[in-house]
Amino acid sequence: MDVFLQQLMNALQWGSFYALIAIGYSMVYGVLMLFNFAHGDIFMVGAYIGFFVSSGLLALNLGSVIGLSTGVELGLVLVLTLIISMLLNSIVGMGVERIGYRPLREAPRASAAITGLMIGIILETANLALLGPQRRSFPELIPTTTITIAGASVTNKKILIVIVSLVLALLVHQFVQRTKWGMAMRAMAYDYVVVPLMGISSDRIALMTFAIGSALAAAAGILFGIAYPVLDPNMGILFGWKAFVAAILGGRGSILGAALAGFLLGFIEIFVTMIFPSTMRNLIAFGIILIILTFRPHGFFGEPFSAQLRL
Amino acid sequence: MKTKKIFRLTLLLVIATLICTACGQAAQPTIKIGVNAPLTGDIPKVGEGSKFAAEMWLEEIGGELEVGGQTYPVELVIEDNESKAESAASVNQKLITQDEVLAIVGPQSSKQAVPAGGAANDGQTPMVSPWSTNPNTTLNRPWVFRTPFLDSFQGPAVAKFVTEEFGFTKAGVLYDIASDYPKGLADYFKQGWEDIHGEGSVVAFESFTTGDTDFSAQITKIKESGAEFFFTPQYYNEVALIVQQARELGFNQPIVGSDSWGSAELLNLCGEDCYGLFYSSHYLAENPTGEAKEFIEGYEEKYGYVPDDVGALTWDTMHIIERAINECGEITGDIEADRTCVRDALANIKNFEGVTGTMTFTEEGDPIKCALIIKIGDDGSKSVYEQTCPEE
Amino acid sequence: MPKKIISVGKKIWATMTGWLKKFWSNFRDVPLISWLVAFSVTVALEIFIGQALARMVGLSKPPALFGVALVLDNPAKFLSAIIYMILVYGLPVGVIAYLTKGVGNQIAEWLLQFPLLLTSVVHLLLIYGVMHYWTSISDYRLLVARLAMISIIVTLSLNVVNGYMGEFSCSHPGFMALGAYVSSIFTVLLFVTDNRFGDALLPAFLGPFMFPVSLVLGGFVSAAGALLVAIPSFRTRGDYLAIISLAFMFIVKSLFENLEVVGGARGISNQPDYANLWTIFVWTVLAIWIINNFVRSTMGKALNAVRDGELAASAMTVNTQKTKMVAFLFAAFWAGIGGGLFAHVIRYINPGTFGIRKLAEVLAMVYFGGLNSVTGSIVGAVGFSLISEALRPLDIFKWIFIPIMLILIMIYRPTGLIAFREFDVAQLFQPKGKKDEEGVDHAAA
Repeated sequence: MDVFLQQLMNALQWGSFYALIAIGYSMVYGVLMLFNFAHGDIFMVGAYIGFFVSSGLLALNLGSVIGLSTGVELGLVLVLTLIISMLLNSIVGMGVERIGYRPLREAPRASAAITGLMIGIILETANLALLGPQRRSFPELIPTTTITIAGASVTNKKILIVIVSLVLALLVHQFVQRTKWGMAMRAMAYDYVVVPLMGISSDRIALMTFAIGSALAAAAGILFGIAYPVLDPNMGILFGWKAFVAAILGGRGSILGAALAGFLLGFIEIFVTMIFPSTMRNLIAFGIILIILTFRPHGFFGEPFSAQLRL
Repeated sequence: MKTKKIFRLTLLLVIATLICTACGQAAQPTIKIGVNAPLTGDIPKVGEGSKFAAEMWLEEIGGELEVGGQTYPVELVIEDNESKAESAASVNQKLITQDEVLAIVGPQSSKQAVPAGGAANDGQTPMVSPWSTNPNTTLNRPWVFRTPFLDSFQGPAVAKFVTEEFGFTKAGVLYDIASDYPKGLADYFKQGWEDIHGEGSVVAFESFTTGDTDFSAQITKIKESGAEFFFTPQYYNEVALIVQQARELGFNQPIVGSDSWGSAELLNLCGEDCYGLFYSSHYLAENPTGEAKEFIEGYEEKYGYVPDDVGALTWDTMHIIERAINECGEITGDIEADRTCVRDALANIKNFEGVTGTMTFTEEGDPIKCALIIKIGDDGSKSVYEQTCPEE
Repeated sequence: MPKKIISVGKKIWATMTGWLKKFWSNFRDVPLISWLVAFSVTVALEIFIGQALARMVGLSKPPALFGVALVLDNPAKFLSAIIYMILVYGLPVGVIAYLTKGVGNQIAEWLLQFPLLLTSVVHLLLIYGVMHYWTSISDYRLLVARLAMISIIVTLSLNVVNGYMGEFSCSHPGFMALGAYVSSIFTVLLFVTDNRFGDALLPAFLGPFMFPVSLVLGGFVSAAGALLVAIPSFRTRGDYLAIISLAFMFIVKSLFENLEVVGGARGISNQPDYANLWTIFVWTVLAIWIINNFVRSTMGKALNAVRDGELAASAMTVNTQKTKMVAFLFAAFWAGIGGGLFAHVIRYINPGTFGIRKLAEVLAMVYFGGLNSVTGSIVGAVGFSLISEALRPLDIFKWIFIPIMLILIMIYRPTGLIAFREFDVAQLFQPKGKKDEEGVDHAAA
């Protein structure tokens, strides 16, 4: 039983990253119907921005300047890092939209997917060229304490990560459902031809979508840095593709669906490892996804209309 | 009209050609060494280490070599193989036929070294891989050599060390199934461990895939299996995550590693979690003596960090090639004859004293050399704990 | 001020394109056969005096890929490379093509009376001859040419699904892997004595004859694997199919990692060297021929119908299920053949080769060349292979330059360079000049 509990905890943490990235993916995908293949790399950029911001803040040594205790200082740094990095990364996201996607608004969607793929490669290579190939070690913003609950070890980081992811997912969901901007986004998702005629600037909505998605990616990047403190330029590739799977599995434009599918993907991966030999993990995990899609061809929350490629 | 134009153009070109011929090149043959390294792709750090070590070698010899009483300029041709098999093969082909290099250093990982070795062997150009551990790289290829020791030696050596040191009987293994180096080493370790402790003594044999960062499920399984320690032949960046997660999950037994841990970055990334652990290695960058000291200090001064294993192995590779060229006695300028001569000299190298130990090539082109067991002390210093050598 | 510069720049651009057009107008009526003759003379020239000429202009050997890599490596050699290229390629090709166009057109006219097959064989023999001798100069060229031709097969087959059928399939590396593994196992098991499968079971001289069998076998296995993607595609498409195909790719990769018999992550090496230039050439020609006929057949039109509107297509009596099934299996078959050839060129395969990086590469080739177009795929595959080979000296910046180039292409030509164009073999071989009014497509030649 405690093994199961332990794996459950592991799965929750692992799934929360998929969930956060999948939400960003799903926003763009839902509103603009684009595969944003650069999203994994925007996540990577977010993690790096977080690394530089937090290292810079720590170097300022706020604690001794203002006179805070270490714990408070670290907390302050964490919050500031989150805010600043999310802002900066949303600028990156908007830049990507402006350069790679806006010129292709009327083009086939697959072409935009290719530009996304290429922007991703540019981000990776630029990182490699600018910062060199060495890995970065993310500063420890939360001192680890391990708690044992019913035989399962849980760290405070894990709990924090899961809570922050859930809060962010709910916030975005509320934003999309409750605010005027969110309504505009949903309208765009519903009909991208007519909505601009209603006086809603599709460019602005697109920029906003990318900004929110990238901000979430930055948050995911920082949380990722806290949980797995080794950053390298290629960290976003596999993550991006798996979040892509989760976003689409969740269904088009469904924020909670994407979050849920992200968690599901995490659960599938962890529990397949637990039950079967871990060598077979990818084989079985993706086999399960294939089977799910064979029997539920439109994901979990997707509408059963054929989402066609606009060729 | 049109013919006239063409005629004029031809005339112009011929004149330009003649001018160019006048300024033509000197006929002195250059010694070219090709470096086939992964500067982009999955393992850019490895490529960088190799590139830096090779450039340092070039600087050390002052850009020229004296062979048989005559000095020749030396040129490095460094090409990026993007960490792809087909790219490594075409880089080798380019180095052999276009750049006409005398010898090739690299590629590093086996997935590139195996196909590239084929190209070098067919093109009759000596190639020395500073990092590849797959037996197929050199197997039946008289023109291909390597400088690291083989997994078939390292795996059992680690198994033997753990048995003698800790007296454990149950082992766990955590490795990357999608990458050939950890996979090969994990298999040989398992084999070596079961030779000592019998079938089933490896109680957990868990894997993940390149690019993964969460190993909690696998570590939980290892912990539950009752393994007294686990062996993880992973690259240092993954090691930092693995060790940290193991500690967070309450696995407080030793974790043992292989030569891929050998990087100055390991402790930067891993911190205190890695203190007290053991791994096998080619060399130790701490407290060096003699030539090793010169190399390590020079490298650190130039590039700002202590060289990794791959840097040291590339350094040795460059010197082995230098020695082979020297033993050749002369550079005839006939590239095929020179390559043959270098290959023969390489095959005959005995007891080469390098930074990573003393090497003699076997018939297959693999070195016979010793492995060091390194202990990371409780203060983060590394020291040689033991040395194991292959039996003659 | 900037306006002035821009207007001057535009003027220069206009004059230059004007010149080029004028210059090109001399060659508009050159038939393919004259071009081929011109190229064969060029190649002969390079073989006989290339080395001497290269020495004369200050190069150590004839540049392998038109001197791009050479110039990027050492910009000082720019003049030498240009002179070499003009003397060996530009001038002879231009002059001979220009001079022989009369005779060429007569020959092409004369060839018209024979069946198309014969004409094609004549042309293909010439093309092969040019390629054979062109690659004989350097093994590097040979390798690049072989890989480029394999890229043509793979790109074409992906275009069937992504271009003609309009799906976004990510499974091609998986299909290639299946083909590569099956054909490698076949040849290594039967004809090679090695440490994995033991002694050769059959005498080695049979090998080259059995090689096509192994490739076709690989193709069939790959097609069988495609069922896993094709069957879900009946009920879904677009994005969902994209992740089904992606899952398929991961499954295949993971499968081979787990199969210890075929080496796991260590892969299979020591494939026999059967995939020489002419074998690959024959397969490439077959692939182009068959795929071109396929997409121009009723089935090909059905593919387009499914792409443009599945419901409408089925209302127009297109059997959409059968169409999808055939398209996936057909594409997978050729991808498998491509994979098998690839394995025997590199002579080493491991599961890691057929991962996400390969996927990005193949997708880039298809969208670079152009959707829904056989010519586009050929241009895309060859162009992309040559560019990524020629830009090697840029080192790390190569992977910034190539993506930027692709993004620009996507922005200015969203469906690729040469999209939605039919590839008509008969037209290609026709005499040129007189029929200009009938709209003969010169650019395609």
